[in-house]
Amino acid sequence: MILPRWPGWRHLPRESRDTLFLLGVIAWTVLPHVSHLPEWCIALTSIVLIWRAALALTSGALPGRWILIAVLAIAAGLTLWSYKTLLGKEPGITLAVVLMALKTLELRARRDAFVVFFLGFFLILTHFLYSQTLPVAAAMLVSVWGLMTALVLAHMPVGQPSLRQASWLAARTALLGAPIMALLFVLFPRIGPLWGVPQDGISTTGLSNSLKLGSVAEVAQDDSIALRMRFDGTPPPPQSMYLRGPVLSRFDGTEWRPATPRPGAPAAMSLESVANLRVAGQPLHYEITLEPLRLSTIPLLEATVSPPRIESYGVAAREELVWVADRPIFERVRFEADAYAEFRHGPIRPTEALAQFRELPSGYNPRTVEWAQRFASDNGFDANDPARLVRALLQHIRTGNYSYTLVPGTYGVNAIDEFWLDQREGFCEHYAASFVVILRAIGVPARIVTGYQGAEGIPVDGYYIVRQSSAHAWAEYWQRGIGWVRADPTAAVAPDRINGSRRLVPQPSLVAGAIASMSPELLAQLRANWETLNNRWNQWVLSYSRGQQLNLLKNVGFKSPSWEDLTLLLIGVLSTFALGGAAWAWYDRHRTDPWTRQMDQLRRSMQSIGVDAAPHEPPRTLADRLRSRLGPRAGTMTALLDALERQRYARGGATRPDPGLTRRFKAEARRLRAAPQG
Amino acid sequence: MASLAAALNPAALVRSRFRAWWQARLPRNDTLLLTQGNIYILPTRAGFMFGLTLLVLLVASVNYQLNLGYVLTFLLAGSGVVSMHLTHATLRGLTLHLKPVSPVFAESAAVLDVVLTAPATARFGIGLKIVSTSGSTLAWTNVPGGGQSTVQISFVPGARGLHDVPALSAETRFPLGLFRAWTVWRPAARLLVYPKLERDAPRPPAARPVPGGPSQSRSADGGEIEGVRAYRRGDPLKLIAWKKAAKAFDTGGELISRDTSASARQELWLDWSACSGLAPEDRLSRLAAWTLAAHRAGADYGLRLPGLELAPADGDAQRRRSLEALALWR
Repeated sequence: MILPRWPGWRHLPRESRDTLFLLGVIAWTVLPHVSHLPEWCIALTSIVLIWRAALALTSGALPGRWILIAVLAIAAGLTLWSYKTLLGKEPGITLAVVLMALKTLELRARRDAFVVFFLGFFLILTHFLYSQTLPVAAAMLVSVWGLMTALVLAHMPVGQPSLRQASWLAARTALLGAPIMALLFVLFPRIGPLWGVPQDGISTTGLSNSLKLGSVAEVAQDDSIALRMRFDGTPPPPQSMYLRGPVLSRFDGTEWRPATPRPGAPAAMSLESVANLRVAGQPLHYEITLEPLRLSTIPLLEATVSPPRIESYGVAAREELVWVADRPIFERVRFEADAYAEFRHGPIRPTEALAQFRELPSGYNPRTVEWAQRFASDNGFDANDPARLVRALLQHIRTGNYSYTLVPGTYGVNAIDEFWLDQREGFCEHYAASFVVILRAIGVPARIVTGYQGAEGIPVDGYYIVRQSSAHAWAEYWQRGIGWVRADPTAAVAPDRINGSRRLVPQPSLVAGAIASMSPELLAQLRANWETLNNRWNQWVLSYSRGQQLNLLKNVGFKSPSWEDLTLLLIGVLSTFALGGAAWAWYDRHRTDPWTRQMDQLRRSMQSIGVDAAPHEPPRTLADRLRSRLGPRAGTMTALLDALERQRYARGGATRPDPGLTRRFKAEARRLRAAPQG
Repeated sequence: MASLAAALNPAALVRSRFRAWWQARLPRNDTLLLTQGNIYILPTRAGFMFGLTLLVLLVASVNYQLNLGYVLTFLLAGSGVVSMHLTHATLRGLTLHLKPVSPVFAESAAVLDVVLTAPATARFGIGLKIVSTSGSTLAWTNVPGGGQSTVQISFVPGARGLHDVPALSAETRFPLGLFRAWTVWRPAARLLVYPKLERDAPRPPAARPVPGGPSQSRSADGGEIEGVRAYRRGDPLKLIAWKKAAKAFDTGGELISRDTSASARQELWLDWSACSGLAPEDRLSRLAAWTLAAHRAGADYGLRLPGLELAPADGDAQRRRSLEALALWR
């Protein structure tokens, strides 16, 4: 295809320009999804968008409906092939992206674009499932603006409105809507999920209920606060400050997930009975303020015996030595608990339930499995003495050229093969997962434990702060006579990560590096400002929840606010605004153009002295009639009418009528009416 | 045909009855100021779709507990509410004025010139149409702030006679298309519709010379058959004496017209009874066509209808009188 010469943005025909603009907005909206869409979807979308752009430039004919249906069917098939399902988050987003791209091939009239707009708004929302950071919010604000500009353009059918004008009109609409947005955001009751527990919504940083190696090329350093801890008594040393979160024991070859609890099992209220927890020594009393982590598993110091008391949530003990709330915790909660530093847990003798911790899906990571079995047989290890085996493995990590990095690059399907045998670069998840796979390959029951490890060294106001970047993963293996034993392979490769309890500082990026070499103060200043901004964003926007809403009500004067009060308040405020609007409309019903109103008054004055005046007649005509009827007696009135004619129609005339003129005219008419004829 | 369809579809019948009743309540006026009282507004289909989208976004935000999702949903909801006011405000304050309507022949298009005047702020995307026409036959315009714009709406009137100008509607969906605001306007002006012109009508009956007219003395001269004069702007092509003009061109002269003042001192009667064998309306059509032909030829012509006679004359006034008589005759 030969493309015509680019005529320049301003010289494009209106239709082509609008279409290209919309395509650009769509591309911008889809772009952040590129990292989690399958390759075929990215390729298909780009081809379709580029094809549509070419058609817009050449004014070519759009393809027929059957072609589109065929492509859509193929895309649905590919989605099914990629995800094995059409339901769920990723398949849904994939289909939405394809649908939006294909819909652009159907845009004949500008009004056809509505489906594109609404799909676009939906796609914008799907970005927030992955990340709600400031940059994402800013990028999506641009998307919303672009889509609204395209909408406005579609409703300006005349002439060639400039993009600047349309975007200003769109921005004005959104800005005028912003107070409504703020009101709804503050007062709309934050109710829990309506159905199901959408674990998809969890961001990739911090803790989550699943672990997939190789999907993340680079760990975002999420410095937001996960929780704050305060101890009554001596705090534990940083290297033993393990906060236990979700335990992942089911492995399907690529992804680790928690074991599903037996359905119908009664909620256990003691770890002693479910997890066979045995404690010794003195308990350590502590208090935790947990930020909304969107998890039902409550991260607690190992091993916390008592159920944490959280208002309006029910908790239950699990075999994995964790306390689980009856639903994900979406608000900031504070509670107290007791932990024992000396503890043992898990079955002492082999049980049937342990078999699930030896399971490895066949066909995945064959080289690691083979390596593990050779490692065991070469050194004479067997599953009955895992402690010696673990020591040897940790030694292997120390001496085997492994390194700790937060930028490991992506891994393929056999991620553990690639990590353990080839690249040997990764962070805690890689080490923990490989460790567990190797132990299982030898026949030792093992599982991954995720949680937080360590805290910032200096407590602020008595509180130790644990950030999302302190999220950690370690391994646990089962030993006869003892139970489950913790093994932290990351400690072998990066002791600093564990002992120093200092978070590893990632490599600075190129730009940051350049700034740092020129002016370290500037970089520090920039970073501080950015962190402040991010923190405020997190505090005010992202963690705004029911707790803050109820606090707000308390401040407003409600004694014991509930979400019903919140709903009533919202309805009240909205009704007030609506009533205000209705009152204004009622007032405005009788309001007319000020010039028209003035002319009405002048005409009535003229009619009162017996000179007729029709609504369509301009002041000049009325003045002529007055002159011919009344002669010089009406001199003042004709002069006023002539002045009005100049005010309204002369160059540089007035923008609003002069009330003084109306007053004088009326007074003069009254005088004439009162004065005797002749 | 329309009444048949209405009889078969009671809902459409009720709707058209209601519309007629509603329109009859509206005062007729050639100038209409749009205010709160005469603008109607309802969501469009796209508006309902938008509402559905908002619901989906809200449910997703609730289920996934996405605070930014709430922000997006509420921003769009706020913009939607604001767009309702902006759509309404696009019409509010506008003044519609219908310019005098010139008469047309039946079954040819009549053009209504509507002048829209905006107060201080500019208005975009206003479409006008005749209420009874269906579909997207809107004539679009923008009105600059404090300025005017003119829209031409054309329609084909039915029968001859003096008709009310049909009810007009002005509507807008600006800025977001979620709401449609419209108004219905019944202009007071009336439209005169001349009879349908007969196509390929036979030539008008032969003119009889006016006794004592100048053309007789001219033909008595012998030599020249007709008088000629220099071409004047506006002379019909028929009047140009092409052969003489060609000769005159050779010698560097100009076009030459026949001198109608000399030749047209003849009298032409356009007579109802001359069109015998035709239906009454067809006779009127033929007489209308003859009127135009006679006017073009510049002849003096008179019109005879049963119960009405116009004395022979020429010029635009005679043409108008004659066509008016044909339009209103019954």
